[in-house]
Amino acid sequence: MIEIRSLKKSLGGKPVLDGIDLDVLEGESLVIMGPSGTGKSVLLKHIVGLFDPDEGDLLVDGMSVPRADGHTIREIRSRISYVFQNSALFDSLTVEGNILLGLPEGHCRRPDMDCDKLVLQALEHVNLEPDVLRLLPAELSGGMTKRVALARAVVGHQKYILYDEPTTGLDPLNASKINELIAHLKNELGSTSVIVTHDVDSAFNLADRIAVLSDGRIRALGTPEELRSSPDPGVQRFLDPTSALAGSV
Amino acid sequence: MLERIGAKALTCVQHAGHAGILFTATMCVLPHPRRYWSAAMVQAKRIGVDGLGLVIVVGGLSGALLAQQTGYQLSSMLPMSLVGGGVVGGMLTELGPVLTAIVVAGRTGAGIGAELGTMKVTDQIDALVTLGRDPVVELVVPRVVGGVIAMVPLIIVANFAGILAGWLTAVSVLPMTTAEYVEGARSYYHSAALIFSMVKAPIFGFTITFIASYVGLRAEGGAAGVGRTATAAVVSIIVAIMVMDVILAPVYKAVS
Repeated sequence: MIEIRSLKKSLGGKPVLDGIDLDVLEGESLVIMGPSGTGKSVLLKHIVGLFDPDEGDLLVDGMSVPRADGHTIREIRSRISYVFQNSALFDSLTVEGNILLGLPEGHCRRPDMDCDKLVLQALEHVNLEPDVLRLLPAELSGGMTKRVALARAVVGHQKYILYDEPTTGLDPLNASKINELIAHLKNELGSTSVIVTHDVDSAFNLADRIAVLSDGRIRALGTPEELRSSPDPGVQRFLDPTSALAGSV
Repeated sequence: MLERIGAKALTCVQHAGHAGILFTATMCVLPHPRRYWSAAMVQAKRIGVDGLGLVIVVGGLSGALLAQQTGYQLSSMLPMSLVGGGVVGGMLTELGPVLTAIVVAGRTGAGIGAELGTMKVTDQIDALVTLGRDPVVELVVPRVVGGVIAMVPLIIVANFAGILAGWLTAVSVLPMTTAEYVEGARSYYHSAALIFSMVKAPIFGFTITFIASYVGLRAEGGAAGVGRTATAAVVSIIVAIMVMDVILAPVYKAVS
């Protein structure tokens, strides 16, 4: 379980997160939504220790991320996969090299580990053929790049997978395929997912619960049905911007 | 005005602090060669073998220039054999190491700065961290060790190319013979100069790759930021090399 307690963070003197309280329950898909620049990605980066909060605490399986020493932060990170907005594949490594990085360091030196098999399984999970293994990231299409990033995230069977805008930059067809893959991976691997997106359709398809972030705070939290019936005009405006525009006209 | 000076000073102190942290982290990894050795060899090949041609050209041209200028200055006053001494002394103590360092800074320093800068702005460094890898072990130390290893043969080759080109220039352009050039070279050769040249090699190799890595890891601001990072890496390295050379010159004098 991930517990976020009164988390505050300012960047460049501007408050980005202003007292976030949020729990991510075991096995659920929590979608964090909100307008651009409201700190969704910043919140996600706090979970994996890429940012230190100014105030508050964040616990992963009871271990405090901000107060973790070197050994504890390695332990926390070994339980978490992170899919970056722009995939963040390593240009100098092949697809195979990139996926292998998703396994713990030294894992493949163990005689009982068949890393080739693990890589092929990861490729199968994301519907890619083994002939992409020798390709470099520059030789992949946008959709394939996202799939390789997903394969890297699932190869180590981590407990938590954090997705930062996983469909950004993709055409609607590829975006929908990636959403299907995320749902499929959750069902097949049983991992806990935290998905940051501002794609409302993706959010309602993937989420067990949705948190709407606004002005550095959680403005609403609930199941997709609860949010649809929320009386908060700010939430409704975000969930259905076309009706808000029509209303303003 | 004072506020601006204070802000600049604060930035300098912050850079010194961050560079100190990276330096300490690098030093802590060095005693564990199994963690970085194979990657360091790849970097040494990249810096050394791939940069060899340019170093030979620059080393040779500087030797030729040194021979010509020394010859023109001495022609009416002193024996021409001094040309050999001037070329050997100049190449070993200053031009060989410094020009090689500047060539490597322009070629490799900019490359490392841009490569790590691109990795930083495209989240690859953050990805490495989330994957449980240490960017210092994976990226910085291999480049630093590769640079230290590669600079030694590069400076030897630059010295050799300069002395050889100096001889060719001396016998073909100046009114002197091979025997005079060799006599001058032998008279003014000190083993301390050669040792000093070899001492500078790893120091410059470390300086180039460490500064380039530090600047690269602090890149921000997309493609334009990467461009600024590459420029900043080269400028910082060249200034650092010149400052270190000025500091090392009295040390050589005292030792020799």
